[in-house]
Amino acid sequence: MAIRLQLPPALRSVMGGERWVSATGATIGEALHDLSTRHPPLGLHFFDERDAIRRNLVFVHSGALIRAREAASYRLRDGDELILTNALAGG
Amino acid sequence: MGVAVIVGTRKGAAILTSKDRTDWRMDFRLQGWPVTASCRDEQERTYIAVNSPNFGVAIFVSDDLENWRQLASAPRYRPEDRGNPEHHRLVAQMDFEGKLKGGGRFVDQIWTLHVAHGAIWAGVSEAGLFVSRDRGESWQPVDGFNEQPGRENWFPGFGGLGLHTILTDAKNPDRMWVGISAAGFYRTDDGGETWARKDDAVHSFGGNCVHHVAHDPENASVLFRQEHFGVYRSDNGGDTWRVLEDGLPVTEMSDGHRCSFGFPMVHDRKSGATFAVPLDGDNFRFPRDGQLAVYRTKDGETWHSLSRGLPPNCFAGVLRGSMAGDQLAPGGLYFGTTAGTMYASPDLGESWSEIAAGLPRILSVEAYAD
Repeated sequence: MAIRLQLPPALRSVMGGERWVSATGATIGEALHDLSTRHPPLGLHFFDERDAIRRNLVFVHSGALIRAREAASYRLRDGDELILTNALAGG
Repeated sequence: MGVAVIVGTRKGAAILTSKDRTDWRMDFRLQGWPVTASCRDEQERTYIAVNSPNFGVAIFVSDDLENWRQLASAPRYRPEDRGNPEHHRLVAQMDFEGKLKGGGRFVDQIWTLHVAHGAIWAGVSEAGLFVSRDRGESWQPVDGFNEQPGRENWFPGFGGLGLHTILTDAKNPDRMWVGISAAGFYRTDDGGETWARKDDAVHSFGGNCVHHVAHDPENASVLFRQEHFGVYRSDNGGDTWRVLEDGLPVTEMSDGHRCSFGFPMVHDRKSGATFAVPLDGDNFRFPRDGQLAVYRTKDGETWHSLSRGLPPNCFAGVLRGSMAGDQLAPGGLYFGTTAGTMYASPDLGESWSEIAAGLPRILSVEAYAD
């Protein structure tokens, strides 16, 4: 599956200012691994030492929120667009 | 006489540059990233460590302070490494899903970066030491330190279990020191294979909450130490310590012990002077009665207050990594407050001026002479 992922502003600085990046994968987890292989600096921000998706990452897919614990196996379709954001904190 | 000061804040890096240490220009880079440490290597490359509760730890580099790129590698523990339960308890406030309670060991902050003997050393929390011998392209854990028996019983300071101080001996690459809040001060004499605690006679509540230690790497065994419970000096590489508080403000601490409290300790190599910023004990953590002052000892025995140009109404703190010297002659000193104000002195602390204000909370300061 070829999908597109919108990066949050902090991670755009890692990718030279790019807002959208392309990836392939049948799940969010696979897509993030694909991006990490092709862009290793991004991988530091997606996965922790135990290769788990960082716990505060949140994905928006067709208006639905997908938390880190669900993202690894969340299935994608060709052409999907995801928004990567993070858990809300603060007041 | 040009100087660059890297000011790490809660929301980015303020890069202050000056040709004469009087007029300053500021760029604000890496916006949005908490900047916790920086260093510069022998080839003039500057490294900045960032962390984020959401996006983890990373290191950016620049050769001109304008163009920054993130390195593909950063210090990381192995998947099988076991974490410290008390550190987990402290950082769990940001652990929305309770994952840290699973027992892993994670690098959640780089507290200090240190260049010596052709390598870059990183001190991190959960407390550990890493080294890179290829300009940050890869990092290796220093297992002799990180895997010491008993680390599961180390007790963290309020900011977590952080390895925040790294010192090296310019004449002996096998000797170095590290400080951890609140697991104490350690020395190796065999290149990091084995380590020994060096907290003899330092007031303790069980653990040793070392705040910062400074020295001249060319005269490495003379150490100046700001502990949670007082200021100390060692003349033998930390084997023994004595109280060094003549002239410093002393106050009653939360446990009733009377001593001088603060965080940074900076040494100027050319003059031999050492600098501290006392705060009014661990209950208040701001300058006594609001008078911000830097204290200096030139002879290594007696401290004197230097406050010309510093405000009389400052109720902010100065964190352990938020003061640095440029090592020029005369030495320039730079420090920042938790209220986001930067001060500079071009004359070994005799006079001070505000060089930036309105910044986010200042976490780290380093100064580099061009």
